[in-house]
Amino acid sequence: MSAPATTAPPRRARTGPAPTAPRRRGGSRIVFLLPAALFLGLFSLYPLVQLLRMAVSQVTAGTLNADWAFTGLDNLRRGFETGQTGPAITRTLVFVVVVTVLGMLVGFGAAVALRTTGRWSAWLLALMVFVWALPPVVNGSVWKFLLNDAGLINTVLTSTGLRDTPVPFLYDQHWALFSVAFVNAFAVIPFNTLVFRAALMTIDPEVFEAAQLDGASKWQQIRHIMVPSVRPTTLVLLILTLVYGFRSFDFIYVMTYGGPGTATNTLPFLGYLQAFVRYDYGLGAATSALAVVGVLVLAVVYARSIKREEADG
Amino acid sequence: MSVKAGPLAVAAKTLLTLMYGVPILWILLTSVKSSDDVFDPSRTFLFRPVTTAYVEALSGDLARALLQSVIIATSTTALVLVIAIPAAYGLARTRGWLPTVALGLLIVLQMMPQTATVIPLFQAFSGWRLLDTTMAVVLADAALLTPFATLLLRPFFRAVPPQIEEASSIDGAGMLRTFWSVVLPVARNGVATVGTLTFLLAWGEFLYAVNFYLTPGQYPLSALLAQQVSAFGINWPGLMALAVLTSIPILVVFSSTYRLLRDGLTVGAVK
Repeated sequence: MSAPATTAPPRRARTGPAPTAPRRRGGSRIVFLLPAALFLGLFSLYPLVQLLRMAVSQVTAGTLNADWAFTGLDNLRRGFETGQTGPAITRTLVFVVVVTVLGMLVGFGAAVALRTTGRWSAWLLALMVFVWALPPVVNGSVWKFLLNDAGLINTVLTSTGLRDTPVPFLYDQHWALFSVAFVNAFAVIPFNTLVFRAALMTIDPEVFEAAQLDGASKWQQIRHIMVPSVRPTTLVLLILTLVYGFRSFDFIYVMTYGGPGTATNTLPFLGYLQAFVRYDYGLGAATSALAVVGVLVLAVVYARSIKREEADG
Repeated sequence: MSVKAGPLAVAAKTLLTLMYGVPILWILLTSVKSSDDVFDPSRTFLFRPVTTAYVEALSGDLARALLQSVIIATSTTALVLVIAIPAAYGLARTRGWLPTVALGLLIVLQMMPQTATVIPLFQAFSGWRLLDTTMAVVLADAALLTPFATLLLRPFFRAVPPQIEEASSIDGAGMLRTFWSVVLPVARNGVATVGTLTFLLAWGEFLYAVNFYLTPGQYPLSALLAQQVSAFGINWPGLMALAVLTSIPILVVFSSTYRLLRDGLTVGAVK
């Protein structure tokens, strides 16, 4: 499975039954939140605070559990001055754009194609969801194999005469980032298809019948009926896909491990390498803190889009 | 809704079938090839199937890794459900600033890059002397998946009509009793969906396992696979056999819960 970015947005249920029990009993139900508050406080929030502390300190393997010397923004500056952080941000943006564009467009197209009833559609949807449910290490492994010099893709390309030499998908400076981004998109498309398809299924069939009577073509139906009616879903899914692409590391880890050179060092993966390969935990924490800021921005956009969507009704 | 597929839809479906079918087929084919046949185009489909890769994989540390995967995935699922179920119910039934802040926090936490959380967790676990224990991996996995599980469960609890809770409390049942014997059974589909997803995600998680276990001898299947695929000079049949063995439990879980997943995943994201 690709990522736990598979959430239902927390919407106030306008649809569905009345949201709350009588007010007098509402307050006491806060106690139900206690276990989660304690657990996440200790294992999610406390680590985040530590991350920020490490980001402004000098932390190496030797001083990991000792007192850390406060160095302010030194780590952050070092990251930029050594030319690591800047290019990593650019790569992250390219990566996110490729994953998002492919994930959204192909996801929507697949949903339109799989709207049809019949055994093939049902079977194909199940196959896609199964591939989505597979661990990223499995999908990453098989794509690393398929994209190999002597792998299936290159065999097809060379034997059909499209290419004279194999495409260096995973060890060329420029190809590697796109290859890994493609596989990331491949892994997220089934989920997007599933969600888009569910949204398309809620359109009243009579709308299509009326459109057909009026002589609307397939394209017109897609353009003027399907796209507008899944717009709220699109917005939520867009942000989820953006976040998914942004925080992705598993396919990079499995397929290129950040290489060749630094070609697939996206911001989150760069932070990981700095901490766990070079044992410069301070520098790694600073880079990761930047990634956290990126996520915070997306989270705010997400929360606002949900709110606006509710207001629009 | 019955919609007829046009030629374009057929083309799209053919492409998707190839795109998602071929990788699965290739894992299976490669796992029963001998190393010499793997990259020989003339032996793509016509080859003498061998079980060498499976025999080698099974004779290694596989049983131990499989057991580790089972322990980690089931413990994580149990822990996540114990924490997320009450939290999701609490958030579904309360109003005011506190649940709003909690929801915002959960959204942020579920979006956190795992590569960022692994750094301070490594430090914390080393300070608590929990490194190299399964406990560390389970706790970290549970912290990773609890926000997501809570957010996905919440709409299922919202869909439980408050009236049946009122009826139950009029009958004299307390808050906990009402929750346990009235609300939970109604929301069981949601619990099953979220439990399944948590299990699948915990089964595939490898970053925490690779970093918190100090010796590969303790790795679960996913971490073993991650370690072997990023090594030089990959033994492809062996790797694919390992991939198949890692995926079999997923196939079992998937085939018994597919309908649940298909319908449950989209709750709240549409409507």
